[in-house]
Amino acid sequence: MPKLKVLTQNPAEPGAVLEIDGAPSDGRVLTDHAGVTAALGWEMKPEGLCRGDVCVPVRDPAAVVTDDGIDLTAVAGLLGMSTLVDEEAGVVAVSAPAGDRRAALVGRQAPNFVLPDLDGDLHSLEQFKDRKRLLIAFASW
Amino acid sequence: MREWAQGISFPVLVDRDHLLAELYAVSNVPTVVWIDADGSIARPNAAEVGTDMFVDFTGVTPDAHMDQVREWVRQGTVPDDAEHEVDDLSDDEVTARLAFRLAVHRRRDGDAEAAAAWFARAAALAPMDFTIRRAAMPLQDVDPFGEAFFELFGAWREAGSPYHGVPRG
Repeated sequence: MPKLKVLTQNPAEPGAVLEIDGAPSDGRVLTDHAGVTAALGWEMKPEGLCRGDVCVPVRDPAAVVTDDGIDLTAVAGLLGMSTLVDEEAGVVAVSAPAGDRRAALVGRQAPNFVLPDLDGDLHSLEQFKDRKRLLIAFASW
Repeated sequence: MREWAQGISFPVLVDRDHLLAELYAVSNVPTVVWIDADGSIARPNAAEVGTDMFVDFTGVTPDAHMDQVREWVRQGTVPDDAEHEVDDLSDDEVTARLAFRLAVHRRRDGDAEAAAAWFARAAALAPMDFTIRRAAMPLQDVDPFGEAFFELFGAWREAGSPYHGVPRG
């Protein structure tokens, strides 16, 4: 399979650009098992999509696993992640999980994130747990 | 960028790929979120300022918000608007964020033309989102305080000032 770049939006690994085996196909992306695991952080197993000890069943595996490969777009969709493909450049962007955002907006639980400071050192929201935190999004433009 | 972090003791982080715009539905800046010690959100996204710098333009001063923050820190009380439930992003707004990231990626690769096409796609999908529209300006050599900004600001006001956060009374 040809190579494909993945722009992830993993809250624990900001700005990671990965390379997987895969190819765009009609606005979708076909890849293999390793590609799914790398791009989405969840592994396709017989029991479903798994991350660590957590597995979610896949109701219709035949819809996402084809003879040509695994439909990354469809698998991402099962996990609440959207994808957008730049076929010309061979790049796919994957969104943060919608569930994490709904946890914030509806469940009012602040999702953790990791971001670098100006020296490149990483900081997380969790690093300041047990304290009140003021999160200020601003731009210097 | 360093001048913005001079003399500040708390972490100043760089969100190059707009993670907060996806995780917290941030659609403009400044946006402030109050987070309690247990990780729950005490007051969701709200447009609050830290200084008087743009008071003539926005009509927003920092004083009322800072007083509210002090009360929350000391007594745990929150204003009534803290109950507001922030609207989730629409599918188009999510796709716009992906298009914006593809634009930034192509720009970093040195392909300004391909980047412009993705910036345009993002703008069409989320025309009132400043994290898309205004953020794209300096990346395309457009003055984010110039004519293009005032045009966007006017259209946004015309549309009823849509914002993913506490509405301003």
